[in-house]
Amino acid sequence: MKIAVCVKQVPDSWAEKKLRDGDAILDRAAVEGVMNELDEYAVEEALKIVEANGSGEVIVVSMGPDRAAEAVRKALSMGADAGIHLADAGLEGSDAVATSYALAKVIDGRGFDLVLFGSESTDARMSVVPAMVAERLGLAQLTFANKVEVAGGSVTIDRVSDNGVETITAALPAVVSVVEKINEPRYPSFKGIMAAKKKPVETLSAADAGLDAGQVGLAAAWSKVDSFAARPPKAAGVVVQDEGNGGIAIADFLAAQKIL
Amino acid sequence: MESDMVLRLVVGLALTFGILAFAGRRMAFLVKLARSGKPAVGRLTDPTARVEAEAVEVLGQKKLLKWTIPGIAHVFAFWGFLVLGATILEVYGALFIPDFAIPVVGHWSLVGFLEDLFGLLVLVGITIFAILRLRNNPEVKGRWSRFFGSHTSGAWIILFMIFNVVWTLFLYRAAQYNTGVFPFMDGGAFVTEIVAGWLEPLGETANEWLETIGIWLQIAVVLLFLLIVLHSKHLHIGAAPINVFTSRRPDALGPLLPMMYNGEPLNFEDPPEDALFGKGHIAEFTWKGYVDFMACTECGRCQSQCPAWNTEKPLSPKLMIMNLRDTMFAQSDYLLAAKGKHPGLGEFDEAALNSLSPEVRAEVERPFIGSREGSDHSAEDGYTFDGHRTTGADLPIIDEEALWNCTTCGACVNQCPVDIEHIDHFIDMRRNQVMIASDFPSELNGLFKNLENKGNPWGMNASDRNAWIEEVDFEVAVFGANGEDTIPADVDYLFWVGCAGAFEDRAKRTTKNVAELMNIAGVKFMVLGEGETCTGDPARRAGNEFLFQMQAAQNVEVLNEIKATKIVVTCPHCLNTLKREYPQLGGNYEVVHHTELLNDLVKAGRLTPVNKIDKTVTYHDPCYLGRHNKVYVPPRELVKATADTTVEMERSGDRSFCCGAGGARMWMEEKIGTRINQNRGDEAIATGAKRIAVACPFCSVMLNDAVTSRQQEEGRAVGVEVVDVSTLLLNATKA
Ligand code: SF4
Ligand code: SF4
Repeated sequence: MKIAVCVKQVPDSWAEKKLRDGDAILDRAAVEGVMNELDEYAVEEALKIVEANGSGEVIVVSMGPDRAAEAVRKALSMGADAGIHLADAGLEGSDAVATSYALAKVIDGRGFDLVLFGSESTDARMSVVPAMVAERLGLAQLTFANKVEVAGGSVTIDRVSDNGVETITAALPAVVSVVEKINEPRYPSFKGIMAAKKKPVETLSAADAGLDAGQVGLAAAWSKVDSFAARPPKAAGVVVQDEGNGGIAIADFLAAQKIL
Repeated sequence: MESDMVLRLVVGLALTFGILAFAGRRMAFLVKLARSGKPAVGRLTDPTARVEAEAVEVLGQKKLLKWTIPGIAHVFAFWGFLVLGATILEVYGALFIPDFAIPVVGHWSLVGFLEDLFGLLVLVGITIFAILRLRNNPEVKGRWSRFFGSHTSGAWIILFMIFNVVWTLFLYRAAQYNTGVFPFMDGGAFVTEIVAGWLEPLGETANEWLETIGIWLQIAVVLLFLLIVLHSKHLHIGAAPINVFTSRRPDALGPLLPMMYNGEPLNFEDPPEDALFGKGHIAEFTWKGYVDFMACTECGRCQSQCPAWNTEKPLSPKLMIMNLRDTMFAQSDYLLAAKGKHPGLGEFDEAALNSLSPEVRAEVERPFIGSREGSDHSAEDGYTFDGHRTTGADLPIIDEEALWNCTTCGACVNQCPVDIEHIDHFIDMRRNQVMIASDFPSELNGLFKNLENKGNPWGMNASDRNAWIEEVDFEVAVFGANGEDTIPADVDYLFWVGCAGAFEDRAKRTTKNVAELMNIAGVKFMVLGEGETCTGDPARRAGNEFLFQMQAAQNVEVLNEIKATKIVVTCPHCLNTLKREYPQLGGNYEVVHHTELLNDLVKAGRLTPVNKIDKTVTYHDPCYLGRHNKVYVPPRELVKATADTTVEMERSGDRSFCCGAGGARMWMEEKIGTRINQNRGDEAIATGAKRIAVACPFCSVMLNDAVTSRQQEEGRAVGVEVVDVSTLLLNATKA
């Protein structure tokens, strides 16, 4: 069982984020980077599958600036076996379409039985990359899993959606994305952190990965940011002094907001 | 007569050498076992303090006397045995010379009197012990007896043997008196004389025989007692003085010990291949650990005070130590064969392992720490009331639930008469669970992530650290706001606000109060604002030493760089870490708790409480302010200065009962038993006080929860409020 887990380094979800003035790209350097939380669940699930299986290999794949190597290390310290880090200045500003193209190029031909994703990244929140990668690889896509079972050459998931839970099975290899209810990601032990320092990480440039430079980067993005403005500061709330008419005042306020 | 003496000598010596051979073997075994432990560091530094400890705690029995009646009973037994050392000399002398007397002092009446007096006091002592054991019978009182889990039958055998020592002593002494060879014929030995009066009518020959038989019996009983001591919890007679001598001075509270490798602090950046990270097997403990285990008297003082045990959780510090001792003995073949070469990290010394019998090998390879969930052994930590381990090879030795129950409140360490270092052992085992096994309560995942990514346990943004400043109407100096790169000379204190003080609502109020009071008193202070991060206390107490070291190193670097000297804190955990633990990393600061500073300001007349509260106030000692740092008086004086009537809870001062939040328990769920905070809250409510004064942000949250939950019930805890001492002072100061 050979599993690829795609992880992304995202700006700390609670930090204040800014777009860069010149190119309107998220200013990643200005904030702490962390491994996308949902990807931790994917790494955990991959490790669990390998543990249950008795043997196998978990390879972390990440596309991102040099700093994204930290996310790869983090996954390695959790227990993944090796990493592939696609880092190239030319990739900056890539949209979901370009990202899926790059990731698929890296993954293709390496003999993975399963490709795992977190169901979304906490910065872009599009949830489309897993599906796009599956499409590009020509594999089945099983997304939003809160349960994954691998047995006898096929994978079965419980797919959660607003409408309920579906059970879906597909033959391996396949692409699966997981939601946060699926497990409890392990906290890397110190032993794991030490071991991760010695695990192999393959760093690829766009050329190494055989990417067509015209299909990635900001210039190739299908959408453009024309202009943006900082969010206006939060307006002070309305204070209702209760002088016997508090209930009415609140009801009026809610009605004005079209809530009542 | 001559031949009688030969017989007396031959039998006496035969008994002695026969039994001593066994005793000697056992002693050699125990010494070798203790020495097979890993190296311990700094156990002989500062010899003066150690000799003093020996004088005060062993000879002076100071810690035993914390409990008056059992303490006095033990003083009798202990001093009795010291004094009766002289009679051992005499009895052996009498084997060779019928009228033997100790040279010089041997005929002094005073000596005879003391020997008899202490012989009698030993009897009084063991009678008290017997009564205490009957009244505290664990078979009847279950876990509410401090003896629950102690070896009951063993204890009775010991008491019986001591009784035998005393009666045989008086038997041969009385017979000696009657045959005229007694060293104290001129008086003094008052008990002997009474007993001699009873024996005299039996006649001369009978008394001659009683003399010899009495001597044999005395020798046999004393030696058998020795043998039993060496095989039971009474081993403390020998181990306790060694343990006290090599214990952490002044006590094993306050800072935790750094992790060591070959006598040097462990380098986390580049740790050696064979370094251990905490304790994940009995073979990973130091020799000091082994002596701790041997020294435990099973007295249960620790257990009686433990907040976890008292709220029906599996953890009892006593049972933990007993369990470690039972494990040490069960695996002694391995420990002796491995001779300290156990590699750890899940590996074994193969040669040693292969030399073991299958049973011992199974015990050695048994999981050390793990879950006992679903088994019958979880509630009472795997012990029957009378000291039998009920967990078999199918279950882990240490129940992880018990391990994580500990709040590190320090009550056990504070109580232990033989200076066992419970918390250090528990934290060492937690370190293994976190750094090696990665197997710990899942709630801690979030804590660790927040600490790593956000530098505070709540996961709040550093930019919000100054939010409280906007809520006060006076100027607060923030470091760096005017471009300063060191703390200006006219600043009296760096005010370390702490994470709770910055982010938690109740604690924020304390922060604002303390700032306002300093402002009123004209104390110049400065805060670090966004430059502050968690001191690392929760990480360290949760066993994440790696994370603690990173956080502490970062803080020490900042504090040293800005030349911080005097620091005031509102959180006892910050106090303990900044003041007592940072010196381990090269950070030396003068750190005071706000109650100390405010009390000084009141005393100096810079703050004047004019408006005393007309409600009764009780004060709850936070573990990390009281037991761990011995600040008991200043907060009490402050409370007295602001309130007309105060009342103490029964468990107060160094016997204060934990609120339940320490040891990173603040961030863990309390799933088993009753709630610690409720136990304490109820005690505070029961005093009738309307204000429960606290001096720690975590106590504040915990006790407030306890009071509010009682207030849901009709007519309970009406009008009771939990307030920080600073709130009382501020209200009293503002007219
Ligand atoms: S430190 Fe407190 S909670 Fe922990 S074992 Fe000792 S008494 Fe119990
Ligand atoms: S207080 Fe000390 S000697 Fe007594 S039972 Fe506890 S650990 Fe053992």
